[in-house]
Amino acid sequence: MVVHTISGAAPGRRTEHRAGWGLVAPFLVIYLLFLVVPTLYGFVMSFFNGALVKSGLGSFAGVSNYLEALTSADFWSSTWHTLLFTIMTTPPLVIVALALAILTDRMRHGRWFFRLVFFAPYVVPVASVALIWTWLYTPKIGLWESWLGAVGISAPNWLGDPNWAMASVALTTVWWTLGFNFVLYLAGLQEIPRELYEASAVDGASPWSQLWNITIPMLRRTTVLVLLLQAIASLKVFDQIYLMTEGGPNFATRPIIGYIYDIGFTDFRTGYAAAISTLYFVLILTVSVIWLLVNRRQLREV
Amino acid sequence: MRPMSRRDLLRTAGLLGVSGMALSACDSPLATGIFGVGPGAHELAYWNLLGGGDGDRMVSMEKAYAKAHPDISLKSVTLSWGNPYYTKVSLATLGNQPPDVAIAHLTRATILAEAGLLEPLDKTELARFGFTEENFTKTAWQKAHTNGKLYAIPLDTHPFVMYYNTDICKKAGLLDSSGKLRNLDGPTGLVDAMKAVQRVTGGYGGVVAMTAETATPWRIFSSLYWQLGGTVLADQGRKIVLDEAKAERVLGYLASLTSKGKLMPNNIDYGAATTLFASGKAGFYFQGDWEISTFLTAKTPFSMTRLPNVFGGAYACQADSHSFVLPRSASRDAEKRAVIFGFVRSMLDQSATWAGGGHIPAWVPFQKSEAYAKMSPQSDYAQVANSAHYDDDAWYSGSGSDFEYIAGSAIGAVLSGQLTPAAAVPQIVAKLTKYANTPSPL
Amino acid sequence: MATSTTSRTPAVATPARTKPAARRQIVDAKARWFNGFCVSVLVVFAVIWALPLVWAAVTSLRPEGEIAVNPAAWWSGSWTFDAYAKVLGTGDIQNWYLNSFVAAAVTAILAVVVCSMAGFALSQTKFRGRRWLFALIGAGLVIPPQVLIVPLFNEFNTLHLLNTYWALILQALPAPPIAVFVFAAFFRGIPAELAESAHVDGASWFRIYQGIYMPLTRPAVSAVFIFQFVWSWNNFLWPLLVMTNTRMMTLPVGLSQVSSAYGIHYAQIMASAVLGALPLLLVFVIFQRRIVEGVATTGFK
Repeated sequence: MVVHTISGAAPGRRTEHRAGWGLVAPFLVIYLLFLVVPTLYGFVMSFFNGALVKSGLGSFAGVSNYLEALTSADFWSSTWHTLLFTIMTTPPLVIVALALAILTDRMRHGRWFFRLVFFAPYVVPVASVALIWTWLYTPKIGLWESWLGAVGISAPNWLGDPNWAMASVALTTVWWTLGFNFVLYLAGLQEIPRELYEASAVDGASPWSQLWNITIPMLRRTTVLVLLLQAIASLKVFDQIYLMTEGGPNFATRPIIGYIYDIGFTDFRTGYAAAISTLYFVLILTVSVIWLLVNRRQLREV
Repeated sequence: MRPMSRRDLLRTAGLLGVSGMALSACDSPLATGIFGVGPGAHELAYWNLLGGGDGDRMVSMEKAYAKAHPDISLKSVTLSWGNPYYTKVSLATLGNQPPDVAIAHLTRATILAEAGLLEPLDKTELARFGFTEENFTKTAWQKAHTNGKLYAIPLDTHPFVMYYNTDICKKAGLLDSSGKLRNLDGPTGLVDAMKAVQRVTGGYGGVVAMTAETATPWRIFSSLYWQLGGTVLADQGRKIVLDEAKAERVLGYLASLTSKGKLMPNNIDYGAATTLFASGKAGFYFQGDWEISTFLTAKTPFSMTRLPNVFGGAYACQADSHSFVLPRSASRDAEKRAVIFGFVRSMLDQSATWAGGGHIPAWVPFQKSEAYAKMSPQSDYAQVANSAHYDDDAWYSGSGSDFEYIAGSAIGAVLSGQLTPAAAVPQIVAKLTKYANTPSPL
Repeated sequence: MATSTTSRTPAVATPARTKPAARRQIVDAKARWFNGFCVSVLVVFAVIWALPLVWAAVTSLRPEGEIAVNPAAWWSGSWTFDAYAKVLGTGDIQNWYLNSFVAAAVTAILAVVVCSMAGFALSQTKFRGRRWLFALIGAGLVIPPQVLIVPLFNEFNTLHLLNTYWALILQALPAPPIAVFVFAAFFRGIPAELAESAHVDGASWFRIYQGIYMPLTRPAVSAVFIFQFVWSWNNFLWPLLVMTNTRMMTLPVGLSQVSSAYGIHYAQIMASAVLGALPLLLVFVIFQRRIVEGVATTGFK
């Protein structure tokens, strides 16, 4: 045996080298062509006055696209809307998902049923979600308004009022995507050794203190993951806003991706749109780095 | 082992179902999806952005066409109105699979043409289908040209008009012997009329939408501003030439009707404004001609006329036109164009159906017909098609554009009393200047 | 990432929680009350969560006239499939199903093949430039595909691939390249001796990948396949940009773009929403455990 491996070593290195590159090649080609190249190309585009309806990069613009973005109220307000959406959706998506996962985990029977009910909306395509929720929110005849009316509360104009539109979209998003976090927490709960609970129960610990002293600390790894995925998902929000409000009313809900879409594909200003994309990318990178620095200690622990 | 076999069964069933679906879809997009082949010549893809009553009328016109042309399969698609629609048309054209024919506002057709997304139309070819200059409303035909070339076939003109409640106006003594509204031109005509109406209704004289609405405020403002001879954009939108004095005068006048004068509500959205007039709580209603169906359905006693000439200049009213355009395509041959123009001709021949929705048909043979003369109130304001004033040209202008949005939101704020005319004008100028200074991406 | 593969079967977890000794101790009145409270809270939330989908289904089965009179009713005097017949009758939705299915299936299959090969190469073979490549692909994790819509659109336009499935497939494969790392992590968990003894027997690297490693990574394969499929099926922004021919649209794009043609026919709108939701809901109901495990094992979306 030993003799064999040694004798096969020299040509083995070479075949291993070739096999490695060969196996990675299909992915690498696609990766370079459709991720690396567009990334670099987008960066180059941002320094030109390109137009969607014209071929080529257009005239050289220097940093004027960046200057325009940084001094544009629309850029800042759409960035804020993306952050606002993140702020509005993250707490409920983490806290409610955790609470429901803990409650479901306590159930002796029918756990599959709750898993089904809470996760099901996650696989529904955004178009269906938007159609259903727009109907639920419809003024005068929507279900929410008729229910609130029944208990004597006058419903807001959910999607029509600039002050409510983002909250309404956020509510829809919580319903739609909560199942994903719920399942992650459910999986996290499965990994907590049951002995911990048994031991603390013997010590007379209440369910409440078990929750604070065992469950939540033991789920920290999952929470870190959930928060990260949540931030990534929220920062790229576009679909449900585009479908439910088209960024309105009065652009009150247009997120940064919506702004890129409008500039690039409605105004045809691809150079400027590429500059906004680059700025947005820098923003995401900054958030990731900050997140990494803040969580470095925790990450090392888990 | 048992659940495995059940799962296998499901999997097999699923595969069978899917392959069955693929096989049965003989007209399937698979070939297009893999090889990028376009649809056949027997198919006519038509896109429009017409919703509501317009949409219903268009569908019935399409049905009539389909019945008369069983050999052609008409694929009509309605997409959401405004910017999303034009984005879609642009992307489809860039993606080399545009519809064969599409509806576009003339103000937007110009932009699409400048962007090189439309096919220029050959007038000799068009003449064979009867599409000649004298057969169309003059202003619309002119507007259908961009840089001297024809790009669109106009279907209609839809001006901003004045609706009036005939019962109320009669009681207020505003109708002449033939039952038509007296001429209200002049600086005080409309104000006096509204005051008279107010005495009848006890509520409002008239109503115009301004809350959560930008197009309507822009349309009423621009109509009056253009009557004063003003212009907003010059040099294809590279210059803002808004005349501050004239603009302030118009805004002051509008505010004197709404927030200051209380002759009209100053906090009302599109739907509520329409309902207010439909239910007879206001004597006048200012909107495009398309709300006619709403009031016919609601059995409101109403008629329509042109917006009065308040300031006494050359008459103008804000308008746009729906038109048929051919998005640029490499694969369109003369045979296909014949099918397309045949379709367009069929739509124009059904102008009676279309005019039922309020729009002034651009097709002169119908305009001059007795059938149209009998349509009331439609034919009562038909003459304004010739005074139709389209939005000034710019890459950021046109129906549902950024331009209308910027101007309309400031004007709406004046109408509701949140902004003074003196503050609104510089706001409009400042925001538009940013666009004017941006090199056109076309 | 690969740690929770052990909790695949619920059989592992359930005996622990039903240990009689622990149970008996907490069964007193207070605990019973607390349990009841927990169950009711959970049921209330479950009802809220089920409500939108159920209501959409109910509305889609009512006649339009009845909805106009009483939009918020939960019951109908005369149930009808009219709305479904109308939506299916236009023939568009069948095309969209097909497009979504083909694009999602091809994407998912290619993702499994291409990404597992790359994951294997990066984790099991020591070729020169491996570290450099690992970093390059890792960097792709922080590039949200949405940032690339403008240059990517230009690129696919130049390649004349707009309105083809390739526009969907090629964009979805590398963005983001998580699948490569999922596979790499799984392969690292496989004992190296297996590969070594195969080498001795003269097996090629590809044979080792295909014959030994792949069969041992079924959880990763199904997780990557399912997620790539669901993600691709539900993807919206990119198909909205590149699939502009109505026959070529995917289900979410078609439903959202063309639905305005239905006007204010609420039953038809809800029927199209239900038809859009149905395929994946059925798949989810059937493969519930697999999918949930997939989330838990890979934790990506």
